[in-house]
Amino acid sequence: MADILQQIASNLYEGEDEAVAGLVQKALDQGVKPSEILQGGLIAGMDQVGRDFKAGDLFVPEVLIAARAMHAGRGVLRPVLAESDARSAGKLVIGTVKGDLHDIGKNLVKMMLEGAGFETVDLGTDVEPAAFVTAVREHKPSMVGMSALLTTTMVQMRATVEALVEAGLREQVKVMVGGAPVTEAFAREIGADAYAPDAASAVDVARSLA
Amino acid sequence: MTQQIQIETMHPSIRMLSDEQLQALHSASLDILSRTGIVMKSEKGRQLLLEAGAWESEGRLKIPEHVVMAAIGSAPSRIAMHNRLGRPTMPLEEGKVFFGPGSDCPFTLDLETGERRQAVLEDVRRMAHVCDGLDNLDFVMSMATPFDVATMDHYLHSFVAMIRGSVKPNVYTARERGDMQDIYEIACAVAGSETALREKPFLMLYAESISPLLYNDESVDKLLFCAEKGIPVTYPPSPNTGGGGPITLAGALALGNAECLVGLVLTQLVRPGTPFLYGMNTAALDMKSAIVAYGAPEWPLGMAAWTELGRSYGLPVWGVAGATDSKVVDTQAGIEATVTIMTAFLCRSNLNHDVGYIEYGSTSSAEMLVIADEIIRDVRFFMGGVEVSERTLAREAIHNAQPGGGFLADNHTLDNWKWAQWRPRIIDRMRYDGWVSKGKKDMATRANERARQILEQHEVPALPQAAEEVIAEILKRRQA
Repeated sequence: MADILQQIASNLYEGEDEAVAGLVQKALDQGVKPSEILQGGLIAGMDQVGRDFKAGDLFVPEVLIAARAMHAGRGVLRPVLAESDARSAGKLVIGTVKGDLHDIGKNLVKMMLEGAGFETVDLGTDVEPAAFVTAVREHKPSMVGMSALLTTTMVQMRATVEALVEAGLREQVKVMVGGAPVTEAFAREIGADAYAPDAASAVDVARSLA
Repeated sequence: MTQQIQIETMHPSIRMLSDEQLQALHSASLDILSRTGIVMKSEKGRQLLLEAGAWESEGRLKIPEHVVMAAIGSAPSRIAMHNRLGRPTMPLEEGKVFFGPGSDCPFTLDLETGERRQAVLEDVRRMAHVCDGLDNLDFVMSMATPFDVATMDHYLHSFVAMIRGSVKPNVYTARERGDMQDIYEIACAVAGSETALREKPFLMLYAESISPLLYNDESVDKLLFCAEKGIPVTYPPSPNTGGGGPITLAGALALGNAECLVGLVLTQLVRPGTPFLYGMNTAALDMKSAIVAYGAPEWPLGMAAWTELGRSYGLPVWGVAGATDSKVVDTQAGIEATVTIMTAFLCRSNLNHDVGYIEYGSTSSAEMLVIADEIIRDVRFFMGGVEVSERTLAREAIHNAQPGGGFLADNHTLDNWKWAQWRPRIIDRMRYDGWVSKGKKDMATRANERARQILEQHEVPALPQAAEEVIAEILKRRQA
C-alpha cells in the first residue's frame, strides 16, 4: 500500500495527471481507503511540491502542473470520498479590493492555496466591502484574503475590515492581505491578522491562521 | 586640390525584426482587435469607439482595421517636449534617445543611512533634484509613492515636488480626472497659459490599460483628458511574459501592440493630432518569485521589436532602461542597467524610463541614477562609432613617429586627446595605491557621494511665483 501511495505522490510531483488518475483508481481497486489515498498520496505529494517551491527548487509552472495532477486525482476520488474525509485545509474568501481590476497576483495566490488543499471562493476583482461581507455570511470561510496593486485602492482593505466589524463578522474570520504596495506595518495598522509578501508565503500564513 | 568628400561615420544600430516579422505582428494585433476584442469599462471610451465603427459582440468591443489605421495616420510622428523653462530639450523624434527615471516606487534606499525605507514626499523632490544635476538624464518621473501625504492626493503632491525639484520635462502619473485637472491647471500656470503649454509641453501623462485586454475607467478617462487638451500622453500596456502577456514574446508583442493601439485610437478620435508616445513593457514574470523582472533580457529584446513596430507606424516610441532586480546597487545592477541602456541606444527607443529602479521597481536609488548616468555616457561614446577622416587617420603623426617611441607627447595626441578618448567620472581607474589612500571606495560609495554633492551644490531655478500661488490654492482646496 505504501508503495502505491508513494507512486501517486511522486507522479503528482512530476505533474503526470493521467498517471495520477490511473494510480488513484488502481489504489481504490486494491482496496486502499479513499482518505488514505488523499492524505498519503495526493496531499503528501503536494506538500513536497510546496516545500520545494518555498526552498526555491521548483518554478511556478511546475507547481501549477502538479496542482493539475492533484485535481485529476481528486476527480477520481471525489465520488467515493466520505464527506468527513474530504475536508479541506480551510476555506478562504478571496478577492481584489474595490477600485482595483488587477487579477493576476490574486489568481496566483488562489492557485497556490488550492494546491495546498485549501478551498477558495474567488470574488474576482473590484470587490466592494459589502460583497466581502455577503460572501462571508454565505460561505462561512475561516479566512478572508484581500489583494491590491495600487496605493489608492489599498485603503479599501481598511474599509473592508471595518465592514466586517460592523457586520459583526470580524471575529469569525482571519484576514490576510497582500499586494505590491502592502506592508506588514500596513496590515497591522488596518487591523488585519496577517500579511503575506508573496503567494508561497500566503500558503504558510493561511496554514498558521487555519 | 579638390576638396575631398567626407566619409560619413556609421553609428551602430540593430534590426530585430524582418519586414515579414513586422507584418505578421501587425496582422496578429489587428486580428486581436477585430476578432478577440477588448473589455472597455469607460462608457465615454466605449461610445467613441462605437461611433467610429467598432461593434460589440460576445461581451467584447471589437475594433476594425480602418479605425486603427486612421488613428495611426493622424498621430504626429514627433513630440517636441520642452523643459519647464520653455526650452525644447527633448524632441521625441526618430533617431533620438533620451533617458529618465520611473514612477511610483513604494520604497527608497536612504542616501544617508543606506537603509531601505518607505518613500516620503521629500524623496520625490530630491530624486528630481538629482536627475536635474545629471547631464544624461533628460526627464524626471516621481520615483516614489510618498506615504506621508494623503493617499488620494499623493500623485498631485508628487507632481508638485517633481517640478520644484527639476526644470527637466516630466512624465507624471495620476489617479483620475480630478488629479488631471489640478495638474493641468498648475502646468498652465508654469507655462504661462493653456496655449503656451500646448505649444511647449513640459509634461506627459503615463497611464496604462491592464493586460490582457482590460481598459479600466480611470485610466481611459485620464487618456481622454489629455486628448481633450491636446497635451502629450503615453499609454503603454504591460503584457509581461507569463503574466499579463503570453509566455512567448511574439504573443506578448502582438497583444501589447493591439492594446497600445486602442489607446492611440481613443486619443485620435477625441482630437486628431494628439501627441501620443507609442510603446509597451515586456518584462518577464519570474517563474520562481513571480516578480516582474526588470532586468530580464526579454524586456530589451521586446523593446528592440516594439520600437520597430512604433517606427513602422511613424510614431515616437517609449522604452525602458537602467533598472535592476537587485536589492542593492551591485554588480547585478550594473549588468542589467548596461544591457538595457545599450539596447535603448542601439534600437533608438526615444523616451527610456525606469532608470534608477532597483528591486524590480519597488525601490528607488539615487546611487543607481548616478551610475546609470555614467553608463549612458559610456555607451554614448560607443555609439559615436569610428570617425575615419584625415584628423583621425593621423597619417602625419604615424609618419613622423619614432619606431617604438610612442605617441604620448605627439602634437596629434595633445591636440586631440580631449575628444578622441572617453573620460570616466565615477568609474574608477586610479592606480592601486591612490585608490587605497582615497579610502578604497567602491562604485556605489562613489555614486552616493556624487548624489549628495548634487543635492548640496546643484541649484534648480524656482517655480514662477504665479505657479506657486496656483499650487497653494489647489492644495488648500484639496484639504477642504
